[in-house]
Amino acid sequence: MALWPPADDDALTVELGAALWDAGPVPEEFLTAARAAFAWRTVDAELAVAELTFDSACDAEPAGLTRSGGPARTLSFRSGQVVLEIEVTEAGIVGQLSPPRGGRVTARTTAGPYDESPVDEVGFFSLGAPPAGPVRLSARADGYAVATDWVSLG
Amino acid sequence: MTDRSATALVAAAGAGDESAWAELVRRYAPLVAAVIRAHGMSRADAADVNQTVWLRLVERLDQIRDPEALAAWLATTTRRECYRLSRLDRRSRPVDPYDDTLDARHGLPAEAGAPDEALLRAERRQALREGFAQLPPRCQELLALLTADPPVSYREVGERLGMPLGSIGPTQARCLHRLRNCPALAPFLGARRGVETNGGERDGAVAAGR
Repeated sequence: MALWPPADDDALTVELGAALWDAGPVPEEFLTAARAAFAWRTVDAELAVAELTFDSACDAEPAGLTRSGGPARTLSFRSGQVVLEIEVTEAGIVGQLSPPRGGRVTARTTAGPYDESPVDEVGFFSLGAPPAGPVRLSARADGYAVATDWVSLG
Repeated sequence: MTDRSATALVAAAGAGDESAWAELVRRYAPLVAAVIRAHGMSRADAADVNQTVWLRLVERLDQIRDPEALAAWLATTTRRECYRLSRLDRRSRPVDPYDDTLDARHGLPAEAGAPDEALLRAERRQALREGFAQLPPRCQELLALLTADPPVSYREVGERLGMPLGSIGPTQARCLHRLRNCPALAPFLGARRGVETNGGERDGAVAAGR
């Protein structure tokens, strides 16, 4: 009939350890992926990082809207004056880059580019459905070049 | 390498020193993994979160100022990405209220016929993981180190966290106090095994008095 959680700090620490680590130490695949991330330090070093500023999957909209608002997920990325907005469905990605100055958008996973698209005169582009895992888009237009934060889209 | 400060490691990694990056991974991967575990993600989602966090860090090496900021940044980013992926899962899968996996997604064991003892233990462990996820990053880092297997000595904990030996015990006690008082554990407070307690069920945490 012991009280729970245990009042004794050592006992609680032991129980917490069992809860946190029972699945074992850090999985080798976690360590491998973490070490490998270093290779990306210089790959897009000349591009400004466009930070993820909104994701309809988890950022606040009026309550209830996200779950009933249809299948499209929308995300926004920003780097200074450059904004890249995308809508993701099972069919693929449609997006808009502003300011519109032509150019190309490339979509890649850590395994390499999986699609690319020209940007039209009003900034629109479209890309194939994203694979699982973190994805990044890079945009090169007249006067600027940005790469988005890595984010899972699939 | 192991006696280099996190600040020195971040600076070296930012300048292209891969061994410094490997040491950062060795030190902080357990923290990232512990936060991910605390969210009860699927294996694939957990791997995606881990990879995303480290990819983001690579590009922010020049923005991390001190070791404490690094631990906090990693814990916060990991939590946010766990939340993002958990939301995606819920959005993409139709929810059938009569489906057992609904319980699993809410952190309750799905096996209905499990013995009471095992069920209770699983519920308590899940509550501890959720409570851990709600703690400040500094507490998460300390408790993750103190519960690590193989054990980390107090001396090494002090070195890794830049904390005087004498303050580890008191800090641990404060963090455990917060853990005991966090909302995830509230349904269990004072619960005796097999004895009905006051209040019943709160916010899906169907747990305490069974």
